Amino acid sequence: MTSGWQPTAALVRGATCGLVLALVGILVRRVDVVVIAVPLLVTAAWSAWAKPGVEPTVTQQLDHPVLREGDTTTLRIHIDDADDRTEDIAAYLPMPRFAELDPPQGTVTGTDDLSIAVRITRWGRHLITPAHVVASSAWAGFRWTRDDDAPQSLVALPTPAVFDAVPPPALARGLVGLNRASRPGSGTEFAGIRPFQAGDRLRRIHWPRSLRSGTLHVTSTWAEEDRHVAIVVDAYIEVGESDGIDGRASSLDTAVRAAGAIAEHHLRRGERVSLQVLGARRRLRVPPASGVAHLRRILDRLTAIEPGSADTVESRLRLGVDPGALVVLLSPLVATTPLERAIDWTARGFTVVVIDTLPPGAHDDDPAQPDDDPYRTLAWRIRLLERDREVRRVQRAGVPVVPWRGPGSLDEVLRGAHRRSRGPRMVQR
Amino acid sequence: MSDTPELGRIAVLRTLSLWHRALRLAILLAPGVVLAAIAIDAGQVSPPVAIGLMLLAAISALVPDGNMGVLTVLLLAWYWAATIDRPTSGATLLAALGILVFHTALAASTVAPPAAVWSRSMQRRWARRTITVGVATTAAWLAARSLGSASIDGRAAVLSAALVGLAAAAVWIRHRGLARLPEGPR
Repeated sequence: MTSGWQPTAALVRGATCGLVLALVGILVRRVDVVVIAVPLLVTAAWSAWAKPGVEPTVTQQLDHPVLREGDTTTLRIHIDDADDRTEDIAAYLPMPRFAELDPPQGTVTGTDDLSIAVRITRWGRHLITPAHVVASSAWAGFRWTRDDDAPQSLVALPTPAVFDAVPPPALARGLVGLNRASRPGSGTEFAGIRPFQAGDRLRRIHWPRSLRSGTLHVTSTWAEEDRHVAIVVDAYIEVGESDGIDGRASSLDTAVRAAGAIAEHHLRRGERVSLQVLGARRRLRVPPASGVAHLRRILDRLTAIEPGSADTVESRLRLGVDPGALVVLLSPLVATTPLERAIDWTARGFTVVVIDTLPPGAHDDDPAQPDDDPYRTLAWRIRLLERDREVRRVQRAGVPVVPWRGPGSLDEVLRGAHRRSRGPRMVQR
Repeated sequence: MSDTPELGRIAVLRTLSLWHRALRLAILLAPGVVLAAIAIDAGQVSPPVAIGLMLLAAISALVPDGNMGVLTVLLLAWYWAATIDRPTSGATLLAALGILVFHTALAASTVAPPAAVWSRSMQRRWARRTITVGVATTAAWLAARSLGSASIDGRAAVLSAALVGLAAAAVWIRHRGLARLPEGPR
């Protein structure tokens, strides 16, 4: 909304005081009073003479609508003044949540284009309220304000945590990929030399062995397969305070950054990755696919996570994967539903790994309400005891639960899953 | 745009940039300069009046966008006129320049938020213009001083011409500035 050019208190003061003093000076024949009125009259006349005739137009633009958390972009404010009578321009950008501004107070002044650096410190979809722009004419005689621009959307992709996993994958049942399958096929890793069979390719004939034995032999290889990694993020509740990328991480911060890291790791290995978010306000799901573009898709969906409530829980989660998939559940394990889901998935034949994202400090006090309410503290401790019991129940059901520690977090449990995947097991269908 | 919306008037003072602190200090001290000019000519200043005027100046410094500046200027001028009987002395110029600084500092305090750092171009322009008006004020004082020795008889024609000129200036300023402008598109 623009207010048009409005006279200011400075113009009113200069005109009123100047005219009154000059009138009094003339009437009482006091030339000194007229002299005192001169600066007021001159500034008022100057202000009136330099009155702007047309309203300026303001455009505000962010340099980068999509960036990583911790990155900085610039809000550029351009003012187009047709009659060139706008002199002082000031802008004030209200501090967005999870952002740092430069200048720190978000206020800039100038006579031309203005810019404010905005550093987003947390992943998510942010709305940047437009800066309040105030233009003044000569001697601050007239003022023009505008503050009705629509908020600008700024997507901050999570910066994936550092992650690596060295153990061999669990059972892989895909079609193509980097993982050696347990069956022979047309891969590159040598499996052995066997007699020729109908359908074998001629270029696979191993001539030295064939000449020695007198019958045709071929080189056989192991098949190469990809794997489906289903990442499931528990967004029923967010535990802990989030200070952005530079400070404390809430459970959801850890889960989102870890999910990004796991997705990036497996997609670079050529595997298929899918994403499912439990309990978020919006239904968020990314079907399995591979490739670098898919990582961008997953990170984009992760930014849309808002902690929801149990009311939005689907009665039965459909992962859409085959039993050989690796399911990685990232959860603070405070809500009971994700743990029940993990037991259910394991019973259905999935290889499930649960990553505990509860912030370290949350084991002592309720991080959401760090007050002195003894009942609240007691309730939180009781909940933690119940949580320990539920975690033990899940572990007894064969689901490993590990805390997120970055690189190597999953090594031990993936080795165990690899061993288990070689043996027979009973599943529910 | 004188105050950050979510802060109170006093709390805003803590966020003032260096340039804004200088402006607020000028608002506070300029009436003191006028009182000093009165003290130079009259020999003394009434303490209650001085305290009252400095209080008004402090309120003006706290709320530069308000109308307390009008009251401060009018009271300063009234006290000057009531106390001084040597109208063209050097103290007159000092008082006029004090009023100029007070008025300019009040106006300048309102063009940017309190925490804003003024750009160099803004600083230079405001300083240049203040000096320009100061020179004009000095010229007016010199003209008044040169006329001070001459005795001007009270003639109806001169008085009428002065009043007509003043009325014309008032009408022009009102027409150019103080008339309510149509609001912009919503």
